[in-house]
Amino acid sequence: MKTSKSGHHLFVGLAGRLGALACVLFGVSLITFTITFFAPGDKAAAIAHARYPDTQSFAPEILEGIRQEFALNEPFFTQYYLWLSRFLSGDFGNSFASNVPVWEIFVSNAAETLTLTLTALVLGLICAFFLSAIAVWRPGSLADRFAVALASIGAAMPNYWLGLLLILFFAAHLNWLPAYGTGTPAHLVLPAITLAFWVTASQTRLLRSFMLEAKAAPYVETLRLRGVSEREIFFRHVLRHACVPALTMIGLDVASLLEGTVIVELTFARGGLGSLLAGSILTRDYPMILFLVLFSALVYVILNTLIEVVQDLLDPRKTFLGRHRAASSGGERP
Amino acid sequence: MSIAAENLAGDQPDLRSKGHVADVSRFVRNLAAGLLVLGIVVTGGFLFTPYDPITPDFLDRLAGPSAEHWFGTDQLGRDVATRILYGGLWSIGLALLITTFGALVGVIVGLAAGHFGRLADMSLMRVTDSFFAFPELIAAVTIAGVLGPSTTNMVLALILVSWMKFARLVRSLAISLAHRDFVVQARLNGLPSWLILWRHILPNIGPSLLVLWTNAWSRSILSISGLSFLGFGVQPPHAEWGAMLLDGKSYMQTAPHVMIFPGLAILLAVLSINLIGDRLRDLIAGPNGLFSD
Repeated sequence: MKTSKSGHHLFVGLAGRLGALACVLFGVSLITFTITFFAPGDKAAAIAHARYPDTQSFAPEILEGIRQEFALNEPFFTQYYLWLSRFLSGDFGNSFASNVPVWEIFVSNAAETLTLTLTALVLGLICAFFLSAIAVWRPGSLADRFAVALASIGAAMPNYWLGLLLILFFAAHLNWLPAYGTGTPAHLVLPAITLAFWVTASQTRLLRSFMLEAKAAPYVETLRLRGVSEREIFFRHVLRHACVPALTMIGLDVASLLEGTVIVELTFARGGLGSLLAGSILTRDYPMILFLVLFSALVYVILNTLIEVVQDLLDPRKTFLGRHRAASSGGERP
Repeated sequence: MSIAAENLAGDQPDLRSKGHVADVSRFVRNLAAGLLVLGIVVTGGFLFTPYDPITPDFLDRLAGPSAEHWFGTDQLGRDVATRILYGGLWSIGLALLITTFGALVGVIVGLAAGHFGRLADMSLMRVTDSFFAFPELIAAVTIAGVLGPSTTNMVLALILVSWMKFARLVRSLAISLAHRDFVVQARLNGLPSWLILWRHILPNIGPSLLVLWTNAWSRSILSISGLSFLGFGVQPPHAEWGAMLLDGKSYMQTAPHVMIFPGLAILLAVLSINLIGDRLRDLIAGPNGLFSD
């Protein structure tokens, strides 16, 4: 990326990416708002019930007042515009249920989710790395077959069921660990294992194939002919070359990881963003729902864009527009 | 996909090498045999089970596996094995419905984006990207939850979050096919767009689409069960596998079989479909596959 031409490419590519990102974020906000706008049920009544939990029915004047306050009588695009402009200026609204800013509720729940996700990710990646390294050491061996079988089962395993099985065995039967709730590190063990199992399975599959690919590369044969030991080839070259594509794939699976976290949190009745989302949906706390769904999409989109950029920087064959220079013969638009 | 390779003959790619035909026919034979066995077992189950999946039998609650109730009974005394049989109709059948609808939407959007010029491509793909930006299950939970938990809303939600993969695949394949000689020739001969799409583009997209479709099908089973397990999907008393797990969760300590067998059913169903999908992908994209020139 030193000549002025590729510098130009870089700028145009980045601008294009950012433009596409802006489009997508706009679309995302529109879709999210549409879902809550067309939700059945009287929103004013939902807000009133949240504000005055002890009251059974409300006078029409009160409901009308709430509708005025939240501009619920305005047409779709006016409401969308009002919401979006407030959102962009950093005012994410207050929770219907507690009248606390959704941002504060979000922050107080985020740590729980982040802890679980990161623990599971690290644990899963370590397992996946060892498993695939052992598998690729001798392809077709018993260890390899075990790794493949584990990856297949892990991909098909409903993680809520795995969670229940773990609770059944370790909490109910052996009584070693607490089953439900949050708080101590002991509460983290079973949920983290549940989520880590999925990470292990999906990443073993990928890492294994990347390592096999790296092992079959021509330069490995050259090294072998030069008399470099198998051990050194494996640890110094094959493993390292498999890591780059694997790292980007992990990023691409962030969505699945987020989904997994939500389900695991609910299975183990843990606090966190997943439980917060489910609770907000049940109480029809629309500002909270809007914020959480937008947040999940935001994390996913931004991470993916970052990964694409990193991928392009790492891969010299790619231009910044994400196309293979060498292979653009028949596949692209003129 | 290596479809981009030049085809100088200007003809459709030769799909039939000899080894490949043998591979495919063996696969089809094995698949047919497997389906036949499964079909016999399931039909037999439906015909011979003396129990009803919904009617409670309060005298026989939470009984363990026995000769009468192979997988035991649940908290309302219903036969778990029978419920799993009927649950398969819900889980697998609904997943099939959702995936097929999702594929249909995706194919239409993808073909339109890939075939009708830059403007259509840009706008349709931005819409696709926007939908794609939501983690699938989080979006599905939200849509199904906000609309109100019911089977219809769950199906709607899952279709809404699952069509984009198909659109992206179809678009990229359609674009790469648009410059192949046989498509260019067809266009020069004055064939209308829909006929080109129908006769030349779609058949060449078919195999890849089938692989993705199989993948999406098994994912859908997991999503349906997941949503139902969280209470946003199929509602009791219906015997969906995820909903059964939710029931079983409360009686886990005293009667673990109520929760073990439905989970096993999900695992096996998803695993089987995944394995079929993997094999299909190998046949289509592998070293002897349809698209290896």
